[in-house]
Order: sequence, then structure tokens, then C-alpha cells
Amino acid sequence: MSMVRKWSAGRILALFVLLAAAAVSVFPFIWMVIGTTLNPNDVLRGILAPGRDFASNWVKATENYNLPLFFFNSLKIAVLTVVFGLVVNGLAAYGFEKHRSKARDKVFGVLLLTLIIPQIALVIPMFRMFAFFKLLDTHAAIVLPSIMSAFIIFFMRQNFKMFPTEIMEAARVDGAGEMGIFLRIVTPSMQATYASAAIYLFLGQWNSYLWPLITVLSDAKKTLPIAMASMMNAYTIEYGALMVIVCISVLPVLVLFLSMQKQFVAGLLGSIK
Amino acid sequence: MEKRGMYQRYLNRFGWFCVAPAMILFALFMLYPIVSSLYYVTRRWKGMTNTFIGLGNFVRMAHDTIFQLAIAHNFLFMIVQIPLMIFLALVLAVLLNQGIRRLRGALRLAIFLPAVTSLVVVSVLFRVILQENGFLNNTMISAHLIKSPIGWLNDSFWAKVTIVLAMTWRWTGYNMVFFLVGLQSVDPEIYEAAEVDGASKARQFFSITLPLLVPVILFSAVTSTSGTMQLFDEPNILTWQGGPANATMTAAVYIYRQAFYVNADFGYATAMSYVVVLISGVFAFVQMRLLGERKAK
Repeated sequence: MSMVRKWSAGRILALFVLLAAAAVSVFPFIWMVIGTTLNPNDVLRGILAPGRDFASNWVKATENYNLPLFFFNSLKIAVLTVVFGLVVNGLAAYGFEKHRSKARDKVFGVLLLTLIIPQIALVIPMFRMFAFFKLLDTHAAIVLPSIMSAFIIFFMRQNFKMFPTEIMEAARVDGAGEMGIFLRIVTPSMQATYASAAIYLFLGQWNSYLWPLITVLSDAKKTLPIAMASMMNAYTIEYGALMVIVCISVLPVLVLFLSMQKQFVAGLLGSIK
Repeated sequence: MEKRGMYQRYLNRFGWFCVAPAMILFALFMLYPIVSSLYYVTRRWKGMTNTFIGLGNFVRMAHDTIFQLAIAHNFLFMIVQIPLMIFLALVLAVLLNQGIRRLRGALRLAIFLPAVTSLVVVSVLFRVILQENGFLNNTMISAHLIKSPIGWLNDSFWAKVTIVLAMTWRWTGYNMVFFLVGLQSVDPEIYEAAEVDGASKARQFFSITLPLLVPVILFSAVTSTSGTMQLFDEPNILTWQGGPANATMTAAVYIYRQAFYVNADFGYATAMSYVVVLISGVFAFVQMRLLGERKAK
């Protein structure tokens, strides 16, 4: 291919279309960051120059709406889901792939089949179950059902396929136990897979709305999405404080994405490999 | 011989040990809800008590015009939003893949950015931007594009447009990344050969690029249809539980309202969720067959 290309009309049009798409994609982010510095009226009207109300918006968000509490609730729930999720799903994926048996293959088949069941069909019996055990309005109710993920098990299993079984055999000959093989030999070489799975689990829980909406009853247990959604139901909406909360809720995901773009996209693409 | 059998048993036991924690959670939070829903679906709740009504919930559904409307909206969003989004994502991916090498990384990053936001954040942002006296209406009026503000959130037609816009903003870049990966896996020599044979750019796109992208496009369509069938966050927050006057009511919002918001009728809500599962299942089956056929070729 030649290094010097003519700027034909087609190329200029292509660039224009791409720039327009990029502008539309990025604009709401710029708008919400500017919104944190404006008074509620100016947020609504969409003034695009920074104002002077950041301090008062921040005070409102942290004091009237308890932003730190919601942030740490969300963080705690997401981190717990990631930690338990990696252990449980990683081990299961390893078992299904590297210790195959007819019975376990059948179980895996059932597992995949349930992927098509929409969440709305599961929340009613689950709500009754958690109500029965008096676990409504607890963070356990949010974490427990999201640990096991058929999709993550499927994704991790695809990656475990690439780990050479010969290495495991060699370790067995050397007298290593099965748990030792998994923990000391297989897991350390699967860091990229674990990172992608962690990002996927974190995002799913950090952004989850329907199930927390059903189980969270008190202000003290609210997560960021629930807090934002309930702010929108108020009679008067503090738009400036709302923009602060929106920005804070997007920030961890943005940082995660920018610092780990490769694993981030791998997590999304994992399913089509 | 005996020793080898024991070792096999040990390996098999270890295999079960690995999958056991996941299976326990699977039984509790997937199998149990599925099995117990068989009980709920035959009952009618009134206050704290419930009675057996057999298939009564399904009879009631046949006369429930709001539920039928909600299902119709799910299909409407599917038919309008998914092709629109796939078309846009495809165009952007193809444009990004041609030349403009220096800006490619930055542009891809920018267009993918909406995918880092949660559906709740998307709904909140769009609801503020699209207020009657909000940013978009103000900008369009001062640019003389419209004379009076558009009721993005309180007109039954424009509210549907709003949902489509919000979904398209959130998901186009996400799907574009899939298509880009698909495009980059195409061997450039194929295009060079086509060039030698005198095939035009348009011809190359339709006879080389598009056929090679079909599996990726199908994959996008599969995940998008199942997502749209479950559409909940946007109509629940952006347009106040499917408003105005049920104009954006979806199956998931209606089920949620029946079970948890208006009258705690778990039986009726479960029966309606069966319909959603059935529709999702049929879609998944058809699409898997299509994907499978492509792979077999």
C-alpha cells in the first residue's frame, strides 16, 4: 500500500461521518462533567460552559443524598461478587474442561441451556425465597445470586481449553496433587482470562438494576444505580447533585476500561471465539 | 489394575469437587426458581392469600390488552432498533477499517465510550437532556430546526423514539467493536486479488466483506434480540415505567409492575414471564440454527 494517499472526497466524507459519530458518543460525557459545576436550572438548559456550583453540588450529593454510602455499598457488592465469582466459576470451568466426564458434560449442557432464560422470569420466585429466609434488604441478597454465571463458566472454559494437558500430566508424574496443579500451575498462567472474567463480573454487578430494585428496601442499603433511579422519582430533582453522582458512578468503569482496554474488550468478545 | 481404578475415582471425585460450589448456587438460584415457578403460575394472589386457579392466569392474559401491547412494543423496538444499530455499527466499522490510520485508535475509543455507562446512567442522562425545556429542544429551537419543543418524554410517538435513541447511543459502539474484529480477520490478499480482477469497492464490500461478516452480524442480532426482549431499565427510568400512558410499556416493566409495584400478583406475573421465556426460547432456537448452519458450511 502506498504511504501517500490522496484526500479524495470519499475519504473526507468517511472522516466526517466518523467524527460526527465520535462527537455524539462523547458529548453526553462532557455534558455531565460540566453539569457537576452548574446550578440545577443550567444543567437542564444545557449550558456548555463550566459554572461555579461544583462545591455546593458536591455538598448536596454527599450530605443530602449520601453519595459516599451508596458508592461504598456498590463497591462492596461488586468486589465481593468478583472475588467469589472468580473462585467459583474458575474452579467450575476447570472441572468441566480438564476433568471431563459424561455426567459433567450433561450438567454443563443444562447450564448453557439456562442462559436463554430472561432475568425477569427468575426474580419472582427468588424474591419469595429471599423473603422466606428473611434476607430481603441485605447485600447478601444481591451478591449471592450473581456469583455463579453460566456465561463466565462458558467463557473461562473456552480459555482453559488452550492450556496444554501434557503439563498437567507431567506434574502428576512428579507427584503433584490435583488442587496443587490447579492453584500453582494452571491458575497463574490464566491471568488474562481471570482479568477478563473479573471485569465482566464487576461491570454486571456495578450496573445491575432490576434485582437490587426489588430487594433493596431501605436507604442505607441502596447502590448507586438504585440511588440515581430513585432521585429521578423525586418531585424536585437536584440536577447538579445528580450529575455529581452520575459522574462518580461512571468513573470506576471508565478507569477500568482505559487502563485495561485489552482485557475489557476480550471480556466482551470472549463469547464469539 | 486396582490402583489405577482408585486413581481414576480420585480424579472423578476431584472433578465433582471443582464444579460443586457452582452447582449448589445453580440449584439454588436457577433450578429452584424454575421449579417453584410451576407452583406460582397456577395461583392467584389476593392480598396475603392465594388460591389455585389452574390455567386461569393464561386466560386472563388473553384479555389483557396492556400485556399484549407491551409484547408488541418489545417486537417494535426489536424491528426498529436492532437493524438501525447494526447498520450504523457496520458503516462505522467499515469506515474505521479503511485508512485514517492515525486517528483510528482515538475514534474507536470515542465511539466505544458509551458502552462503559450502565443502562441506568444512560436513562438518567437522556431523561435530563430530553426534557421539554431541556438541552436538545433548546439547541434545536435556537438552530431553527424546530419551532416548538418536541415531547421526547411525554408524547407517545416521541417517547418510543427516545427509547430507540438511548439504546442506539449505548450499543452502537459496542457492536462496532465486534464488527471491527471480524473485519480485521479478513485476509487483505483477498481484496488485492479482487482489485486485480477489477472489482469495484462496492462490489468488494457486497461479495467479500459482508458474507464474511455474517456470523458476527448474526451474533450481534442474537444478543440484541435477547436484550430487547428483556428491555427494562430504559422504559422504567427514562419514561416512568413505560409511560406516557403505556406508550413504552414493555413485557418486563409490566411484569415488574404486576408483581412488585401495583398489586403483588405473583401468579399472574409468573404466567406472563412464561410467555417471555417462550418467545426468547423460540428466538434463541432459530438463531442458533442459523449460526450452526453457517458454521457447518
